[in-house]
Amino acid sequence: MAEVKKRSVSFPRYAEYSCAFKYIVEQALGCRYVMPPALTKRTMELGTKYSPDFVCTPFKTILGSMIESLEAGADTLLMTHGLCRLGYYGELLEQILRDLGYQFDFINLSDYDMSKKKEYIRILRRFDPKVNYARFLVQFMEGLRMVEYVDEVTGEYYKNCGFDATDGQYKRAYQDFLTAMYTAQNRGDVEAGYRAVKRSLQSIPLDKPQRPLRVGIVGEFYTAMDAFSNLEVEQKLADMGVEIHRWMNVTNQFLRYGSGQKNLRVKIQDLSVYDMGPTSTANIWYARECAERGYDGLIHIKSAACTPEIDVMPVLQNISADYKIPVLYLTYDAQTSDVGLMTRLEAFYDMIDMRKKVL
Amino acid sequence: MEKEIIKIGLPRALLYYRYRVLWRTFFQELGMETVVSAPTDHAILERGTALAIDEACLSLKIYLGHVAALVGQCDYILVPRVSNFGRHRAMCTRFESTPDLARNVFRNSGQKFLSYEVDQEMQKTGEEDAFVEMGKSLGCTAKAARKAYKVAKKAELSHHKERVQRYEQQYKKDGMKVLIAAHSYVAEDPYMGRMVSDYLKKAGVIPVRADMVDREAALKRGRDLSPTCKWEISREILGGIAMHKEDVDGIILLSAFPCGPDAMVNELITRRVKGVPILNLVLDSQSGTAGVETRLESFIDIIRFQEGKL
Repeated sequence: MAEVKKRSVSFPRYAEYSCAFKYIVEQALGCRYVMPPALTKRTMELGTKYSPDFVCTPFKTILGSMIESLEAGADTLLMTHGLCRLGYYGELLEQILRDLGYQFDFINLSDYDMSKKKEYIRILRRFDPKVNYARFLVQFMEGLRMVEYVDEVTGEYYKNCGFDATDGQYKRAYQDFLTAMYTAQNRGDVEAGYRAVKRSLQSIPLDKPQRPLRVGIVGEFYTAMDAFSNLEVEQKLADMGVEIHRWMNVTNQFLRYGSGQKNLRVKIQDLSVYDMGPTSTANIWYARECAERGYDGLIHIKSAACTPEIDVMPVLQNISADYKIPVLYLTYDAQTSDVGLMTRLEAFYDMIDMRKKVL
Repeated sequence: MEKEIIKIGLPRALLYYRYRVLWRTFFQELGMETVVSAPTDHAILERGTALAIDEACLSLKIYLGHVAALVGQCDYILVPRVSNFGRHRAMCTRFESTPDLARNVFRNSGQKFLSYEVDQEMQKTGEEDAFVEMGKSLGCTAKAARKAYKVAKKAELSHHKERVQRYEQQYKKDGMKVLIAAHSYVAEDPYMGRMVSDYLKKAGVIPVRADMVDREAALKRGRDLSPTCKWEISREILGGIAMHKEDVDGIILLSAFPCGPDAMVNELITRRVKGVPILNLVLDSQSGTAGVETRLESFIDIIRFQEGKL
């Protein structure tokens, strides 16, 4: 009997999480994974060309990335649901791609009622009708563990990489770790990669002043975390000699807290009584947390036209006024340039550096 | 001793156009007074624009101008949080943020705000329970608040039904008819949609409204046009288009810059609705109407040309 053709699945590139998607698709779903090509200017040009004008920028990035995945040989595209406009991305992406003439299978999580457990089984069966649920669950949990490792190591990396006393060993250790995650075939590989990077990050000598400049990052779930989309703002600022702190990541937002961030809201009742949007509670809580810890500045990152994050800004302005903490507001659209960003970051750095010396 | 009557301020923007009857009746039933801000004018727009983040949508800018106009004029200003009525029945996230947004923008004004929260999906609170809670927070009994809500809801529904019937009559008239697909707060605001419908009437065209349809039927029909459309109002508009596109000569997708849901839904409509001319008109805060009028004029010409009347 002829073997059933395996699906070639792709999911839009998103920060460094593609390694975990790859692991889950290959190990847990038993499909082939088509890694979307690294995001480039071409990706953005493709995405912008075919997107409606004032949709938020991640839509354009994802559309471009999906076109490149299809060109790279994907036959099945997966798109997530979401609480903001993200929840409608899938249907419009599919329509635009089909109008362009691409042929593919589209698995859109917005088609399913994700509050019902049996819907998950329906989704899994689309990837593989004979899916082994027990095996899936085990491998899926390992994929999530990879997400946790990536988040933990990335956090540690941006906190310290600006103070590397060697000729770039710190960055190399982080990149070796990512390579290990992207090539991991089993749990042993994942654990070994994690142990190796933890050891090296701890042993590489750092040259850090006693009171380094500390900056907290808050913002939109896609742009604040995706280095390509935010033009590597974290690396750029870290390289000036700044500790970067970001709470927002998949681990904190989904794996630890899920949809119930009630305990985060306790401390911000005076600023926001309700959830103001999908990530507002976490962002407001963390912004105040950074301010109370005496950080030197905050950077708020969002894509152009991101409604929920625009609405968080008045609250951040109040935090800034109450705690005298400077906030740099960065909005990214498809045209945002490296040079323009650098100028703003340098000015921000000079300002917080001067304040620290004076205060 | 006589009890002071509580005065509730209703900003004439955003959800006011959808819920004015519900709100007014509810507070009246509870023996309270309502005060509504004056129709949008240039001063309100200017004031709202100064208070809002630059990138916010025109509708929010206008809204903040109306809130500012009510500050100090009433005991409470009503700013509800309406998140969703269930799955795929959400509002734009802006309706989740407005209460806290208003509190933060006006935090030094000393103004008190009143809110109710409708969030079926996450908090399991429907509209009725939300109104009862609000009534209790104003010192009424749960029983009185529930009764007031029931009366108010009935009034709202019959008011909407009447308006729908009036619009249904329009379809029977002779002459060119154009369907305006817009959120009610865009379509009915004097500084946004009203100038479009006024111009159309002046040009001898009958404007009809996509959202002036039976809401339940429209929600269902909307699903045929876009199965995963998650926004309640967009689904009603989609449903209205599906129900009436054969009865009109053209459709105007009217949107306030940069409306999040419209940016996506209107793109989908232009891709899926065929056989009828569609104009995608985005309004921003420019003060003149000449630009809009030129586009409407040429749209009417296109329709006439296609129908062989030009």
